[in-house]
Amino acid sequence: MSAEALGFTGIVALLILLVLRVPVAFAMFLVGFLGIWALNGWNGAMGLLSSETFTLASSSELVVVPLFILMGNVASTTGMSRQLYNAAYAVIGHIRGGLASATLLGCGGFAALSGSSVASALTMGKVSLSEMDRYGYDPRLSTGVVAAGGTLGILIPPSTGFVIFAILTEQSIGRLFLAGVFPGLLLLAIFVITVSIICWFRPEAGPPGLRRSLSEKLTALTGALPILLVIASTIGGIYGGLFSPVEAAGVGAAFVIIYGIVTRSLSLPAFWQAARASVVTTATVMLILIAAHMVNPFLALSHVPTYVGEALIALDIPVLGTLVLMLLVYLVLGCFLEGFAMLVLTLPIFFPVVLQMGIDPIWFGVLVVLTLEMGLISPPVGINVFIVKSVAPKVALADIFRGVLPFWLAMLVTLGILIAFPQISLLLPNTMFN
Amino acid sequence: MIAHLRIWADRLIGLSANLGALGLIVEVGVILVDVIGRSFGAPLYGSQDLISMSMVILVFGAMALCDRQRGHIAVDLFEPRFPAALNRAIDICAALLGAVVFAFIAYAIIDSAKLSVMLNLSTNLLRLPKAWFQWGLAGFSIITALGMTLRAVEFCLPGGDSPSTKETAP
Repeated sequence: MSAEALGFTGIVALLILLVLRVPVAFAMFLVGFLGIWALNGWNGAMGLLSSETFTLASSSELVVVPLFILMGNVASTTGMSRQLYNAAYAVIGHIRGGLASATLLGCGGFAALSGSSVASALTMGKVSLSEMDRYGYDPRLSTGVVAAGGTLGILIPPSTGFVIFAILTEQSIGRLFLAGVFPGLLLLAIFVITVSIICWFRPEAGPPGLRRSLSEKLTALTGALPILLVIASTIGGIYGGLFSPVEAAGVGAAFVIIYGIVTRSLSLPAFWQAARASVVTTATVMLILIAAHMVNPFLALSHVPTYVGEALIALDIPVLGTLVLMLLVYLVLGCFLEGFAMLVLTLPIFFPVVLQMGIDPIWFGVLVVLTLEMGLISPPVGINVFIVKSVAPKVALADIFRGVLPFWLAMLVTLGILIAFPQISLLLPNTMFN
Repeated sequence: MIAHLRIWADRLIGLSANLGALGLIVEVGVILVDVIGRSFGAPLYGSQDLISMSMVILVFGAMALCDRQRGHIAVDLFEPRFPAALNRAIDICAALLGAVVFAFIAYAIIDSAKLSVMLNLSTNLLRLPKAWFQWGLAGFSIITALGMTLRAVEFCLPGGDSPSTKETAP
């Protein structure tokens, strides 16, 4: 069997194992290990297994993953997310659809503390759904807003999606974080506009909340100051060249822990629980990443990426067409695969093509992460939708998916804008790193 | 017998995860001390070594608990469409495959640790022997492999764990 045939057989075997519900990491280990054994011998496979495992497990760059996860978990435990929501609620809660927009702003703020979309949806869902229910919001709008708003977690830095992309493609984490800022804010703005449009056509979907007095507004805004301080010091520290991403993550995690201790909102058992939850999430991510480093060399040895690249070039479609084709693949896969798994499975094949075609890797990273976000709310898998369902058990799953649809379309519009205007993604990294 | 083994396995898994959590806290502390120290012109010597090596403990310490909580990502889209017997068979095979993967990791890393001892490999600044952390990684992998084997055995037993059963964290 030729190397190419072996490579494609490996991909088919991998897909079959995934359909059979074998955990992604184990399926990748199996295919990668057997593939390298076949192409490079037993010693090559064992050598790669030991070197990749230890190198990745001791990677100082990847330390940002557990640290940002810890920061988000502790921020959630200490009630920082509620304070963010309260501040946004006090300012815009009284306008039509204001509570939904406040939820989105809260999600955006929390996204700057946590790199996880699931954590954002779960935390903001717990905080805001009961409030929107109290004011008679249409459950489709309220649940749709939380599920969609949660996706901001992996676009607005810090983002585990960007970290994984950076590690797999050997790009700068700092550049990718910077590249996510404007697209994240753009998506947030488009989400808020979507809420306004929905409430314009169906005013009963989002009735206004109570108008708050000036002193109440000030109190709520003051309550959100510590969070803003953490965001400013961590993300601002990276942008200002004060910290490396790892240091920013460490300092940010330390800040939220200290905040929890000082305000007595973080007990020792709750902290220990958050730390354990963080390491478990990290273990999940890291195992897939190590497995991906077994599959990547196998694919490279079998020349599959070269073959795919040559096939795409032979199609003679413009670069933009190829890019759209790849994003379409991500959109379709997003309906069935978990976003992170999708990233590690596809990047070894797509990324060499991206480089070959002269597409900016940072821009590509932003577009891919945005399409991953869309997968988070796409039926039938849509993990964020299931998270919201767990917080709002009375709302039917079909209603949540209907509620999410306008926001999915809003993301599609954002994707179109980001494709048409690469500067939105590239302006900050190019300005600050050059 | 199995219940007794499960109690001990859960204790071991819990201990392993606690070491992982401790590794994470050490990382936060080391980074904070390093950043504060740097601003006073005295960064923590060898912080990079401490961060890298505690990452090993953090990642592999939590592996067994990750599996115990069914934390590994799988595409469960077709689970409701599969017959119960097939789902059970997949669960047993997946647990066994996981056990084999971790046993292989342990074996490969032990081999590598022997080499590290022979070549006297250590971290760049603090000269911490690399083999210590490789032994640790291999130990955590063995715990994970044993935990997964036990889970496969539990699946095989009548009335054993079913795919829909959610386990409690130890």
